[in-house]
Amino acid sequence: MAGTLQRQPTVTPARRLAWRAGAVVTALAITTLFLALSGRDPRLLADLVVRSTVGSRFGLEDLALFLTPLLLTGAAVTVTGRIGVWNIGAEGQFYAGAIGATAIGLFLPGPSWLLLPLMAASGIACGMGWILVPALARAYAGVNEIITTLLLNFVAGLLTTYLAVGPWHDRVTGALASTGRLPVRIPEIWGVVHWGFPIALAIVLGLAWLTTRTRWGYQITIGGANEQAARYAGIPVRARILGVMLLSGGLAALAGMFEVAGTVHRLQGGLANNFGYFGIVVAVLARGSCLNVLPAALLMAFILNAGIVLQTQQLTSSAVLAITGLVLFMIAIADELAHYRPVTIRPVTPRPATSAEARP
Amino acid sequence: MIDLLTGMLSTAILAGGVLALAALGEVLAERVGVTNLGVEGLMSMGAVVAIITVVATPNPWLGLLAATLAGAAGGMAFAFATVIVRANQVLCGLAVTFLGLGLSASIGHDYAGVPSPATFGRVPVPGLSALPVIGPAFFGQNVPVYLIYLVLPAAAHWVMFHTRHGLAMRAVGENPAAADAAGLPVTALRFWYVTLGAGLAGAAGGYLTLTYVPVWSEGLVAGRGWIALALVIFAGYRPFGATLSGLLFGLITALSFVGQARNWPIAPAFLNMLPYLGTIAFIIVPVVVWHRMRRIMAAPAALGVPYHRDVR
Repeated sequence: MAGTLQRQPTVTPARRLAWRAGAVVTALAITTLFLALSGRDPRLLADLVVRSTVGSRFGLEDLALFLTPLLLTGAAVTVTGRIGVWNIGAEGQFYAGAIGATAIGLFLPGPSWLLLPLMAASGIACGMGWILVPALARAYAGVNEIITTLLLNFVAGLLTTYLAVGPWHDRVTGALASTGRLPVRIPEIWGVVHWGFPIALAIVLGLAWLTTRTRWGYQITIGGANEQAARYAGIPVRARILGVMLLSGGLAALAGMFEVAGTVHRLQGGLANNFGYFGIVVAVLARGSCLNVLPAALLMAFILNAGIVLQTQQLTSSAVLAITGLVLFMIAIADELAHYRPVTIRPVTPRPATSAEARP
Repeated sequence: MIDLLTGMLSTAILAGGVLALAALGEVLAERVGVTNLGVEGLMSMGAVVAIITVVATPNPWLGLLAATLAGAAGGMAFAFATVIVRANQVLCGLAVTFLGLGLSASIGHDYAGVPSPATFGRVPVPGLSALPVIGPAFFGQNVPVYLIYLVLPAAAHWVMFHTRHGLAMRAVGENPAAADAAGLPVTALRFWYVTLGAGLAGAAGGYLTLTYVPVWSEGLVAGRGWIALALVIFAGYRPFGATLSGLLFGLITALSFVGQARNWPIAPAFLNMLPYLGTIAFIIVPVVVWHRMRRIMAAPAALGVPYHRDVR
């Protein structure tokens, strides 16, 4: 009898979840080891992390503030993933949304009940415009969307900084690196948590329904599973790719609008804070299911919130990026390893003829 | 005017060298069928490791070596995950980018703003460097420039297209199952070429801080890794294609410098967008304008697909 590993084509959800939990724990263990080796007390840090996230009112509010953009950027990357497209440009669309919203907020006078929807609409339109060229190129010319969407992130970052320090900069307080404070803001519902949070939750739930319970969502799923088969079945795959990518750009842009109108209140360089990139991690954790975006974004928000604590302990904010990378790396490996199961190969032993024939 | 042209060409060669080197590394990885999206992170690691090394021992060659080794080490981790475990290449690549950017910023925290104490000096070629305009740009550069533009691509081209080993390497990227059946070591070839390519990405990062931008700061690489990835497509997966497209993008970068130096009526922010917008245009326009381009510049057939011997 010999034992060997055999690759199974499918993995049960429970099995995958177990492997992924193992991956996250491994990544966090490696991080802890690093922190301990660099002379910090992991138990003290763990205590601080718990107290500043789920262990206090302020922690929970911060968690919700992190969660709001992550839900939207995570959903943005998830919906394109369903048709087999990677939108790595959520960061840029986030900036585009923030710019579009700020343009209305700064320069259009009006009551906030009118301005806020206008800001959202303008932001979403800018986000969709931002992804339009990569989406058209991907849908109709097959140009690699990973690179085109990503490169536009740098352009959006430069444009945001240019506007914030240049033509739109704050002339009242003379702050050099940001625009003036927006005259309107999304009203708060709980401490510093604004209405963007429940709206983002509702949008994710709506998307879950849209992607799994509608004809449109079904066409997306089939297009992602097998493009050729989908075309043969009469599904306009190119139009669907374009539509999904525009939706994705709009979602990421709405996150930018919420951030600028609900949390930061002014446009400034670095506003997106890597939320677009962390949205990719959320989408990977969610594995294409919009409903799974909820727990995935919660985990990511927890890591980001914990990162704030680490910053108070003389660690740079980039440590969070490294930790996230490690989590992603471990999950990618775990996802593949989950396919393997030990099987035993028994040598075929010739049975005695009499006993075989004696059985009915 | 002549001075301006000379300066622009010199800058183009330096700026383009970074991209050319990283793109050449990625050509090697993609030719064996592995997309390494971690170039940006590997370059960042190389950049910071080079600075840390030359601060300790002011020898730029040691810095470049350390950067190469750092890139190769990251590449080995990536190759372990994607070639041996056969995990998703897009995910692992993004993970390596995040890890590289985060780790380099963390370990480089104390070196932020420290100018590199040792850089590659210019070594003019006697006679040729006195030529007007092109002399200083092409023959008055530092030694790595000649390695990047001539020696490395020539070596890669010769190995890839004129040796049996190169045929084996390309076969692994086109049809790993057939290569495997022919007795070629698919896993080993993929593993070592991905590692080598990542080493060149690390070297590109080191070259960046040892010549072109001789000071470390967070976000220094600023998307050059992603531009290099795009250049590989534009280069049609060929070594000299990578070098030439690197030079072309060096020229675009130099153009934005000239614009800033001469006070063109365009905000510097927009000039700085040129390399990114140019890259996007250069990978979209050819396939739209000229359909045959898709076949000529086709990617290796098995690019991005993990090879499982038992699943065909």
